[in-house]
Amino acid sequence: MDMSLPRAGVGGVSRRRLTRRFGVLGGLLLALLLGLAWAAASGSLGVSPVEFVAGEVTAMDWQVWWQLRLPRLLLGVLVGAMLAGSGAAMQGLFRNPLADPTLLGLASGAGLCVAVWVVLFPGSDVFGLYGQFVAGFLGALGVCLLVFGLARRRSGSGAVLTLLLAGLAINTLAGAGGGLLAFLASDEQLRQLSLWGMGSLAHSLWGATLVALVLVPPALIVLLRRARDLDLLQLGEATAHAAGLDGRRLRRRVVMATSLGVGTCVAVSGIIGFLGLLVPHCLRLWLGPGHRLLLPASMLGGALLLVVADSLARVLAMPAEMPVGLLTSLLGGPYFLYLLLRGRQGC
Amino acid sequence: MLSLHHAGLIDAPSLSPLHGEVTPGEVLAIVGPNGAGKTTLLTMLSGFRHSQLGPVTLDGWSLDAWTPEALAGRRALVAQFEPTGFDWPVRDLVVLSGDPGEAAVAEIMGQLELACLAERGVSSLSGGERQRVMVARALCQLAAARRDHDRDGGLLLLDEPTSALDLGQQQRMMRLLRRLAVERRMAVVCVLHDLNLAATYADRVWLMAAGKRVANGTPRQVLETDRLALTYRADLMALDREGESPWLALRP
Repeated sequence: MDMSLPRAGVGGVSRRRLTRRFGVLGGLLLALLLGLAWAAASGSLGVSPVEFVAGEVTAMDWQVWWQLRLPRLLLGVLVGAMLAGSGAAMQGLFRNPLADPTLLGLASGAGLCVAVWVVLFPGSDVFGLYGQFVAGFLGALGVCLLVFGLARRRSGSGAVLTLLLAGLAINTLAGAGGGLLAFLASDEQLRQLSLWGMGSLAHSLWGATLVALVLVPPALIVLLRRARDLDLLQLGEATAHAAGLDGRRLRRRVVMATSLGVGTCVAVSGIIGFLGLLVPHCLRLWLGPGHRLLLPASMLGGALLLVVADSLARVLAMPAEMPVGLLTSLLGGPYFLYLLLRGRQGC
Repeated sequence: MLSLHHAGLIDAPSLSPLHGEVTPGEVLAIVGPNGAGKTTLLTMLSGFRHSQLGPVTLDGWSLDAWTPEALAGRRALVAQFEPTGFDWPVRDLVVLSGDPGEAAVAEIMGQLELACLAERGVSSLSGGERQRVMVARALCQLAAARRDHDRDGGLLLLDEPTSALDLGQQQRMMRLLRRLAVERRMAVVCVLHDLNLAATYADRVWLMAAGKRVANGTPRQVLETDRLALTYRADLMALDREGESPWLALRP
């Protein structure tokens, strides 16, 4: 038996499709770079590329920019790419355009641990500035291990449904726990919790950004490498298996990468709404459902949207700033409705 | 060649041990009443369900020993229609599991009369059109592997591929499957509900009932009116044909 068969069809992607793929991804990348340049220059401590090239940046400006703005931009790119990319992957895995990264209960798990930290350990200085981050990360990690255990154990067509129901149960449980803690919380703690729930990049420090830089890119790469498998899965489990898909491996990898990546993002930035649902959905209307284009495009689009939205959140209410999660939900919700009302659901 | 060595399933739905072969160049029809285990058997032949008794082998190797990718180059499955999650354009869907190149895709689309539907989304198609798209996808998968390795053959498993087709389409689909079996040396296994189609186009027939194979042979040997009337609990009348298995019709 010839075990060295290459994957059927890899060599047959037509030139037209390749050109389109490079065109779309190149365009999105260019837009992201422009968005980053604008975000770097806007707000109260902006350094524009022109000033930078002309050497008109003072050491003080540069120091502040380096300490505050750069980690924030990087975090915006990482969190945006991860949320939108995992949204696309989850929608593919569940074969449903309504799936999003919070479906597995990661965000609510993280939220519960943050609530525990804020309400039950007020003023604790064990982790310094990183208290909420550590609590959120542990919460997401706990849910991640639970979900991963479930994904490993079950096989066959019921496995995806089990994941979905487990996520629902975790969301409900964590919501109830969070509600109980909110009942016990002081007014100041309540405000802190509700701001966390809205999602923001305002607290990005190099420490959290470095953790995201280590954990998020591998998760993105794992998802990108599963694009063809996600395409095959759309045929249904039995047909996809006959087309060369190892369904259990796919489920394990997507759940693992999403848990790790989204868990990290939620820990550093709270719950940034709508990005994971909206970006892949809109891009699918434009690009079609194939994940080999949709996944990288979603990652670039998510990064672009979050970087721009975060800058808007800084600029719109200067010198104060809005939580960016609030802005993405405020902009995303109506746009989403508009798309649906226009009748071009497409998927 | 696909061989079963007392292969079967213990878990529900169970499948009594089966012994037999499907050889290149032949069309095997699996028939039987609802719930007889036809689809279960087909998914076991494709390796999606692992035989819990004896092995199922393809070209001498147990299906479990093949890598999923290598196996995909040798056999393709057309399941009963499952919604495809999102609205794929037909031209993308047919090459999803293997792209044999533009000329071969065009030929396959032409054979299944899909050329004019290439730009349409799957969700806008009728049931019969979707069925033909899924058969075209499976043929593209096998054709891609054939092109890469320059060999004929392969195993094509189909679950009721004609259930939503009109009369003429049924005829053209079954003729195409026969031609592929003969010209491409494919082994075609086809779950069918229409016994007259099985009688007309199959080389051999397996009759299933309650998880067991109750008859195995040529259509003439298997499709006896009395046996079928008993198995299907149907009131049948037969129209005899010289040297062939009879046509069957329902008594009013």
